[in-house]
Amino acid sequence: MVQIIKPPKPIDNVIGYLELKNNSILCSKVFLSDIGYPAKNKEFSLEFFLSKLIHKDDSKLFKNNYFNFTKNNIDFRQSMLIKSKKGKYKEFVCTTNHDNINFNNKVAKSKFLFFNKRKYKTNKKVKKSQFFYKETAEMTSTGSWYVDLIKRKSYWDQQTRRILEYPEDYKPSVNKSVLYYPKESRELAKKLFLRCSIHGESFNTEIKMLTQNNRELWVKAKGKPVFNDKKQIVGIRGVFQNIDETKAKELSLQRTSNIIASQNKRLFNFAHIVSHNLRSHTSNLSLVVELINSTESKDEKLELIKSIEDITSSLNETIEHLNEVVTIQTSTNKSKSQVKFSESLKHVKTSIGQIILKNNATINSDFSKVDTIKYIPAYLESILLNLVTNSIKYKHPERDPIISIQSYMENSRVVLEITDNGIGIDLDKFGGKLFGMYKTFHYNKDAVGIGLFITKNQIEALNGEINVFSEVEKFTTFKITF
Amino acid sequence: MSNKLIELACIIDDDDIYINLIKRVIETKKLCENLIVFKNGKQSIDYFQALLENLDRDKIPDIILIDLNMPIMDGWEFIEQFTKIKNKFNKLITLYIVSSSINPADIDRAKSLNSIEGYLVKPIVINKLERIFNKSA
Repeated sequence: MVQIIKPPKPIDNVIGYLELKNNSILCSKVFLSDIGYPAKNKEFSLEFFLSKLIHKDDSKLFKNNYFNFTKNNIDFRQSMLIKSKKGKYKEFVCTTNHDNINFNNKVAKSKFLFFNKRKYKTNKKVKKSQFFYKETAEMTSTGSWYVDLIKRKSYWDQQTRRILEYPEDYKPSVNKSVLYYPKESRELAKKLFLRCSIHGESFNTEIKMLTQNNRELWVKAKGKPVFNDKKQIVGIRGVFQNIDETKAKELSLQRTSNIIASQNKRLFNFAHIVSHNLRSHTSNLSLVVELINSTESKDEKLELIKSIEDITSSLNETIEHLNEVVTIQTSTNKSKSQVKFSESLKHVKTSIGQIILKNNATINSDFSKVDTIKYIPAYLESILLNLVTNSIKYKHPERDPIISIQSYMENSRVVLEITDNGIGIDLDKFGGKLFGMYKTFHYNKDAVGIGLFITKNQIEALNGEINVFSEVEKFTTFKITF
Repeated sequence: MSNKLIELACIIDDDDIYINLIKRVIETKKLCENLIVFKNGKQSIDYFQALLENLDRDKIPDIILIDLNMPIMDGWEFIEQFTKIKNKFNKLITLYIVSSSINPADIDRAKSLNSIEGYLVKPIVINKLERIFNKSA
């Protein structure tokens, strides 16, 4: 039933091969004798081949390669262990017929797999330990490598190739080693290798690598120098382990923990604000009550009751401010949308048009680098409004206010910068308190000390940052990193 | 009641309502002859420095009640600045912190300062205020 295409003699006698036909695999005599099967067992099923002949560690990859080859014509090269009839594993290198092997001057119609016995046979003991090594390497996703500093060559084991998604026959190159790392970790890799090769410092680090498919991958890399008899460093030997999953979890845990820490900090801050700001009013109330009790005069009592009015109205104001802060904390999941910086600024300019006009203020803006941002529109407006009005409020008495606003990218985050030519802030003195509640640093009557506090809260509630740079009498710059 | 009255007391606080109330207490209880009020540390330091320059050293208060949270120059900075110049006045000046802060960090910090006579937590109790003024007189 099964037809065997017989390749011309020399080939059939020298090379072990499989001819792939439908679901069957036809074996060459040489291959059969290599693994100790009688020459008449010419046909195997794929399933038999996968489950009975190929070592289980190699079978998955082989299956993949096999289907890719038969269905998509993708050639491959793979070394594998094949079990002989007697139950011993032999090592073969399997290659495809991508060169269109010519049989009797006819191009073969079938697909072939060629099996060459490994040239360098390792002795049995080594083979056994190699098996355990392979098992360990695979289960822990650990690859090993060696860089020969004298020959300037580098060597990888199969696991390294697998982790870095290179084909089985890929030869690593010392000169191209920059390819194996993404930009951000090249400096670190270079430093570690240099230190190891020059000073003999071994290393143990976590570093991002780059696979052939340009996928970034976290690995834990260890390396140590290799010395010759004269104690000179001749190479670096090392292992690295794929820790991408663990690292991803660690990073996401870190992010969560940062968010929690910042939330906790805000809550703590808030508790402090609540207790302090409310206490000053309640203590005033207590004092009034004590005064009312201690006086006999009716008129005085009535007058004191009047002062309760003042206290309650400022208490109300404080509570409104606190309420505003709470609203910020709870509305972080309010819907964000694409907001244009220019649109936001336009609204702000309209709403404080009178103030701008009265103070003869100029507002220059440049949003050409980044013109939109995904944000809560009301927040962006409120932030701009607070900072712009601040700049006008604290303008220099000798010059008209000029405010420059620009946006740009920094470390893949959007930054908004607002610079004025106002009186500036003495940051050495006030830096720490600048964003506190009810902190004012100037004699201005309309300084309430709530604006910057709210601004900072809005920005931080959405995981941003606000920083300030200033020189007294010259300028103030607020830098918001979204 | 004591026989001698404090000549000049000083209050440094930015809370208008508190100042009005404390003024009233001091007036009705007749705790001192004169009272001087500043809205923050900077104003008062400027004033004290002017006294030194004009050799008006007698016009320095006998007792100062200072708030901690104030704009421009807070209580801590005032204490620091004031400690530098207070020996130039030939007078014993008593300093009390009067704050609504119940933060232990603030209270401990106050205790660690030799120049501070005491730390009063708002609301001030009238009796206590009387005792302090009588003691300092």
